[in-house]
Order: sequence, then C-alpha cells, then structure tokens
Amino acid sequence: MPKVKAARKSTNIDMTAMCDVAFLLLTFFILTTKFKPQEVVEIDIPSSTAQFPLPDRNVMKFDISKDGKVYFGVDDQPTRMALLDRISEEYKIDFNEDQRKAFKTQELWGMDLTKLPEFLSMDPFARSTFKQSGLLLDTVAVGGQHQVENLITWARYANPDLRIAIKGDKNTEYKTFDYLIQALQRCNVNKFNIITSERRATK
Amino acid sequence: MAEMNIPEKKGKGGKRSKKMSTRVDLTPMVDLGFLLITFFMLATTMNKPKTMEINKPVEDEKKDEKEVPKIKLSKTLNLMLGDNNKVYWYVAPDEVTSSASVEMDSVDYSSNGVRQVIKRRQKEVQEQWGNKEELFVMIKPLPGSKLKNTVDVLDEMTINGVTKYAILPPRDQIDSLVAIQVGQKRK
Repeated sequence: MPKVKAARKSTNIDMTAMCDVAFLLLTFFILTTKFKPQEVVEIDIPSSTAQFPLPDRNVMKFDISKDGKVYFGVDDQPTRMALLDRISEEYKIDFNEDQRKAFKTQELWGMDLTKLPEFLSMDPFARSTFKQSGLLLDTVAVGGQHQVENLITWARYANPDLRIAIKGDKNTEYKTFDYLIQALQRCNVNKFNIITSERRATK
Repeated sequence: MAEMNIPEKKGKGGKRSKKMSTRVDLTPMVDLGFLLITFFMLATTMNKPKTMEINKPVEDEKKDEKEVPKIKLSKTLNLMLGDNNKVYWYVAPDEVTSSASVEMDSVDYSSNGVRQVIKRRQKEVQEQWGNKEELFVMIKPLPGSKLKNTVDVLDEMTINGVTKYAILPPRDQIDSLVAIQVGQKRK
C-alpha cells in the first residue's frame, strides 16, 4: 500500500519582515533613549500622587542619601564650567585642563570644595567608586557664607533659569532636608521640587 | 526581499557559470537587532520622575510681628511628624485659659490614620465656619521624622483638598510640650 505523504513544506521562513520590524524598533529605542545618569549613591525616592513632571533641562539637583549626605549637580555643561570658574576664583583653587574636563562630565558630586582638585585628578574609574563625603552643610567659608549657599548662588548666577530639584531618600531624616531648605531660602529660593515616584491616590 | 528571482536559463547548452544562491540568511541579523533592542529597552528611562512642588513663603527679616496674618487657632490643625512613622496631632484652643485643654493623639500615615483626622477636622470647621476650605493645617516635621513622612502628609493635603497649609518649624510652646510628652527630640 502506498503511503500517503504529506507534501513537504519548506522550513525556510523569510526573515526579512522580522528583520525590518526589529530594526524599526531598534531605531525607535535609540532615538528615544536617554541614559540614566550615573548615580553616586542609591536613593530610594518616596512616592506621591504629584503629577508634575521633572523638567528636561535647567535643573539643579540635590541628592540626599539615606545617611544624610548631600550631593550636588547641574545638568548642563556650560553652567557647570561657569560654576567651576567661579569656585576657582573665589576659593583660589587652580584647576588644570584635565581637572576641568573631569568636572565637565561629573554629573553629581558632594564634598568639601577644597577637596575638589584631588577628586578631579583621579582616573574616571576611581572617581566613580570613590566614597564622597557629601557637601558641607554648615561650615562658614568665604565671606561668611557656607559652601552650599555659595554653590546655589553661583549656579543660579551662571544660569538664572535653573530649577531646583531635591531627590531625597525616603528614609532621610527631615533634619538634613531642613538644612538644605534653609540654605535655599537664605539664597532667596522659595520654590523647589521634590522628586517622587508616581503613586495612585487611594481614596 | 532577500530572495531574488533570477530567471534560469534552460537548455541551450553552452557553459554556465556555477550559480550561487542569492538568499541571505537573515537570522543572525534579526538576532542582533533584537539583542540591541533589549539593550536599549533596559537602558532607557521611559517614565520620567514626577515632582512635588513646594512653595515656601518669602522670609522677610524686616517683617513685624503685627504683619503676620493672624489665623484663629480653632480653624487650624497641627500635625507634628515624629519618628517611627507617627503623626501627633492637636488642635490648639483660641485662648489659653486655665480650663483650656488640648486634644492630642498619635496616628499613623495610613488612610485610616491621618486622613481620618483631617477629614474629621474638615467637618468640624465646616460646621463651625460654614466652609471646610477655612481649615489651615500646620505641618511641623520634627528632626527625627523621615522625608517620606513629609511627602506623605503633603500628599494627604492634595488628596483631601486642603488648600491652606504650611510647613513650619515646631516653635510653638504647645509643640514643645507635645514633643516632650511623647519623648521626641525637637532639635
């Protein structure tokens, strides 16, 4: 008895369409992606029902870690450089070309301003793993002002459109946050944003 | 298309060069494509963080005590944020007399805790003043409280529609008493 043979179909699938889709999606993701900025410390932000999105640019950011260290960062590079010039002028610190370049790419940092040159001379890897001590919140420095206030004032002088965003760990003690707010208020900044993650309101 | 139809010449003898297939196997390319997609999907930050805006009043050193707007204390609600996720609330009396008593209690941040306190107070203000919008909430975070506590309370303001509120340092005398009573640091 002759066997009934099923017609054999080719197992070759045309991959072109799939390839098209893959690269279309790839293009989309490449274009829309914005890399997460490198984080100095891990911060678990509180959640709230607030809906106001964080602006894309002109942001001065303060990060407060769980143990109350404060880090500082300005998002655009011209402002960063202007700020560095001001620091070097007021604190009489000379930065060489390499240190300036390093500062330009440093998203976030927090330490005594006089320790900056040392930090900036490190190689990039050492810099990313270095345990930064956090900004000095209550020391009197140049002109009877403290360093955080100087940073706020000078950064805003370099870029008046800066908005202030505070990204604090949800378990940070209010005390540190209060220090920072007081410093901001002394610099006549009365409006600032706390970065939160989204949460639905439970009525 | 990855395949091209090349008409085959038939017959006619003659020498034919060996025909190579024009089909290209696209599978590795697709693999690569998806690998890169995966990478970009993971690296991208799709949802932007939200922010909560805080406006503090302009501090004016020249401001006289008299210019400070006076609010009837019976319209207010004090929320003191302590450590261990506790809120201490009290309503201060309008006038301090020997018979005046301060109602005080501690609650948590859940919807059964501080929210019920705010709702009840809104109702009381509604009955007394005819408008629940009159309620003024004074938020007084103690240094030991966590940032999330402040954010949570500010959130409750939005959820319950409290339009008048302020973050204040716990400077009041009653604040000190309450803080001492419950064993919280004030400084």
